[in-house]
Amino acid sequence: MKKLFPVEELARDDRFRRVAIAERITDGRSPANAKNQEKLQGRLTPARPDAPDAARQLMHGIFTGEIQALEGAGRTCWDFPVGKVTDEAPDAVPFELKLDMARQCWDEARHCEISVKLSDWMGTVIGEFSEATFLYEAACNPDPVLRLTGVNRALEGLAIDVFNTMREFGDSAGDPVLEFCEDWMLADEVTHVKMGSDWLRRLTATDPERQARALEFQRIVDKLFSLGGFRGEDDDSPVRLARRFRELAGFDTDEMDELAEISRESRDEATRYQEQALAAADGGA
Amino acid sequence: MGQRVTVEPATFTLVDFDAAELEALVEGLLDQLGLDGPLTLEVDERTPLGRAVITSLDPLVLEVESGALQDARSLRSFSAVSSTNVLGRLLLRVRDRLDPAFGEPPADTDLTFPQAAAWDAYSVGRLVRLGHDRFDERQRRLYQFRTRHGFSDVADAAFAALWDGTDLTWADIERLSGDAAAAAA
Repeated sequence: MKKLFPVEELARDDRFRRVAIAERITDGRSPANAKNQEKLQGRLTPARPDAPDAARQLMHGIFTGEIQALEGAGRTCWDFPVGKVTDEAPDAVPFELKLDMARQCWDEARHCEISVKLSDWMGTVIGEFSEATFLYEAACNPDPVLRLTGVNRALEGLAIDVFNTMREFGDSAGDPVLEFCEDWMLADEVTHVKMGSDWLRRLTATDPERQARALEFQRIVDKLFSLGGFRGEDDDSPVRLARRFRELAGFDTDEMDELAEISRESRDEATRYQEQALAAADGGA
Repeated sequence: MGQRVTVEPATFTLVDFDAAELEALVEGLLDQLGLDGPLTLEVDERTPLGRAVITSLDPLVLEVESGALQDARSLRSFSAVSSTNVLGRLLLRVRDRLDPAFGEPPADTDLTFPQAAAWDAYSVGRLVRLGHDRFDERQRRLYQFRTRHGFSDVADAAFAALWDGTDLTWADIERLSGDAAAAAA
């Protein structure tokens, strides 16, 4: 069976349609241009006029993310040899790491089923919205330490933020089903992030250079996944950084402060891209 | 004789929309809903958001952000199905407002979230019966209604009355919305 499976070959039926991250970032339109700014952006709460549809769209994004998380953890079970790191096998991992990944597969498969049922509940059809595949792309790193750091600390960390936001949305909207499901999935995500934190520490205990590369990869993934300020601590960030749950998962305060700063940078960059695209369009009109 | 439907802008640069296609779609909806026009559809292509409002009844003017007309699976691409859903819902509101028997609802900008969700349920229910379904529109609107009125059996019953309703008045909509909200309080 093939190792390091490319994103292009992921199995999807014709309900799914992919949109590349570059296409999103370079979209010349900007929410900032809307005439009526009243609560159209900002944190996902029932106070937003578009709240029910925004929650449906986010739920669909969670669903496709769960599929890719399952695929990523599954690949990590297969892609690397078991044993001690040697010159011949620099990507070897302990068997216990694979057991953790197998457990994560089980969790993610359950999350996929929960997400489908939640989508039914909210009136969303599979494939109604596009799929972004950058979660799986981060899970293609050939170094298992970098992969686990990028996926389990950066991406599953984002999942903590998203699930906590959705859980709070369910609570404030009075939706008992959404709140309950998100709360249970959130508990799993904290465990997944903790796995990433623990394995990063154990596998790089005697290799600080590898640890530094892993943390740098995490920063890159975190920046990509801040999605132009989608996740952050500013008032207009739809998804809020869930500091308490991240703390439980092994993040320290400095790391979370840095994450908040990365989100701000990402938002500023996205704004610049949009302004450039808009200026180019105006110039060509 | 002036043009029945005018789309502004006539040429789009930030989205792959075609003004002639939009005009034809709106004309078809006007025919189906028994509305005359003239109608101006102002599309704001500078934002991907999906706000859609009636800004004037006489003359008839609809103002729509580009996200409301695009395919949610493909950035900047036009979706006839989504556009029919959004514009059809607005035009049913127009038809209600022009009907003296319907009553006098507040201006769109003064509608509360529960009132808007209730009127949407009534409008989209009629639109679906005219053959314009889109994904699972009933469940989508039920979720919107529940979010605005609470998750209760009373709210679901009120929603069903709105969704299946014909010849409802603004007073009926207000009553059903109020009953549902009261049950959650």
